[in-house]
Amino acid sequence: MSEAAAFAAWLGGAILVLADGRRGLAVGLALMAAGLGGVAYAAGEQLTGAALLAGGVVAAALRWRSGPEGWGLMQPGSTPRIVLTVVIGLVALYFAASLASGDGAAVRFAPMACIALAGARLLQGAERGAALTAASGLVLALGAGSVLGSSGSLPAAVVAAVIATGTSALPAAEPHGA
Amino acid sequence: MEPELAVALPAAGAACATALRPRPRLALGLGALLGAGGLAAVVLSSPGAASDLLGITLSLSAPARSMLIVAALALAFVVVLAPQNAARSSLLRWGLAGLAGMAAIAVAPTLDVSVMVLLALVVLQAAGPGRRPYARRVRAPALAVVLLGLGLLFARMPGPPALERLGAVGLVAGLVAALGALPYMHEFDPEELTATSPIPWIAFVGPVVAVVVLTRARDLLPAAIGAMGAMLIGLGLLNIVWGCVASWRTELGAAAWRYSFISDWGLALCGFGLGLTEGWAGALLILFSILIGRLPLYLWSRQPLRDKIQTDRPINLVVAAALAGSAPFAGFTARILLLRGATALYWPLALVLAATLLLWVPSSLRLGRSLGMPKGRQLAGIMVTLALNVALGLYPQPLLSLAGL
Repeated sequence: MSEAAAFAAWLGGAILVLADGRRGLAVGLALMAAGLGGVAYAAGEQLTGAALLAGGVVAAALRWRSGPEGWGLMQPGSTPRIVLTVVIGLVALYFAASLASGDGAAVRFAPMACIALAGARLLQGAERGAALTAASGLVLALGAGSVLGSSGSLPAAVVAAVIATGTSALPAAEPHGA
Repeated sequence: MEPELAVALPAAGAACATALRPRPRLALGLGALLGAGGLAAVVLSSPGAASDLLGITLSLSAPARSMLIVAALALAFVVVLAPQNAARSSLLRWGLAGLAGMAAIAVAPTLDVSVMVLLALVVLQAAGPGRRPYARRVRAPALAVVLLGLGLLFARMPGPPALERLGAVGLVAGLVAALGALPYMHEFDPEELTATSPIPWIAFVGPVVAVVVLTRARDLLPAAIGAMGAMLIGLGLLNIVWGCVASWRTELGAAAWRYSFISDWGLALCGFGLGLTEGWAGALLILFSILIGRLPLYLWSRQPLRDKIQTDRPINLVVAAALAGSAPFAGFTARILLLRGATALYWPLALVLAATLLLWVPSSLRLGRSLGMPKGRQLAGIMVTLALNVALGLYPQPLLSLAGL
């Protein structure tokens, strides 16, 4: 299950990078949150997984309601972005499964791939709605990464869920004067 | 007193000041009251003591506590003696929001939560009205969060020592990106409002972020702490040279001030990198002097810079001396401590540091002139800044003791 969840998290992150419309962004964020939650759940952190899933679903629902119209998936000129999502996936897989040792490669892969993908989306200088969605995805990935820590991951997941929701609730249109 | 209040009261103050924007005096009064309550909560909290009121264990380390106290005092100082064209209630609103975020970063149970709060601050600051589009304002500080997040993941992965060193690279790169120092300088528009520009990252929020990241990194990366120190010293020297030369040679006055913050951060990074008590003491003194010296002086220089007024009166020269770190100002004591630490660690490093200290002179003379002919509130503010700087230079121990050194 953990491998499937990690793949779902990467796929969600990839959709986040490839989408320009609110529906595509919302689906990407929801899928990423489900994957990250599933990875945490499979690692024995059920409440952490639930918090991440809840935060991601609420944030995705908020994005579904506001932002650029439509899906905007893989628009013309998005080949470099497709290549980027594949390269990030492969590099994260190398670090998580090959360089690092021990069980739980999925718990290492999913947060790393999602942090890199959400970060790449933010660095693209995207439109405001896409940047806010990427920030929500980034904070959820940070929350999932806390599962690797020695102290409890639930507080971090709850904080991540709250921040992800708050970020998606911000207006997707530029304020006057920008 | 519980550290929760240190976060909640300034946050409530910022919320009140935002809600009462149409009535600036009421916003100022209520915000100031709640901000003072937050400061009292930080002062009365015991460093290291844990609180579990919310189901999350929160505690405040001594260095972060001292930095929060000085940041709150700097905010109060800037609001009371605000530049003539600045709205006090607006300054207080942004300052209290930043202070609440800084307190949350400091009291967070883990570095993960601190990084998440940092991201929340990044998102909120970029969401304010500004000249640049959102995506361009959020880019550089968001990169800091990404790098810190990756650094944390690498630090926790079981495997070869290279992973821990990659973790150290991520944390150092993330910290420098959060500050906006080289090689991750934030995009700067001299005409932008100070609150929505990169200045708050390097001059207000940055000191707390640096103290929290570096304090926690010592526990997180015990085997890579030497590599981390070497990276901090290398980046510190780069920022000293680049910041001083650029501050001297750049055409725009506001950009010169921004580069001067970078050069001060170079010294602080070197101090943290030394890893010795003297190094930390010197670095913290530099950060205190940024908060209560360079930041208020920058705010008071904004109007003379717009009016293109430059003067060579005695007050300008005294300010230049304070900015250059000459005796008896705080910068001098900090430099002595750094040189002592560098000598103890590796004497050629002290030689290099001593040589770079001369670079501050031309840029500081330029910055001192840029304050124009201060009068009224601006003159009072500059006099108080200089007095505080002298006091910190002559008697640094009370503040250093507050920081647990």
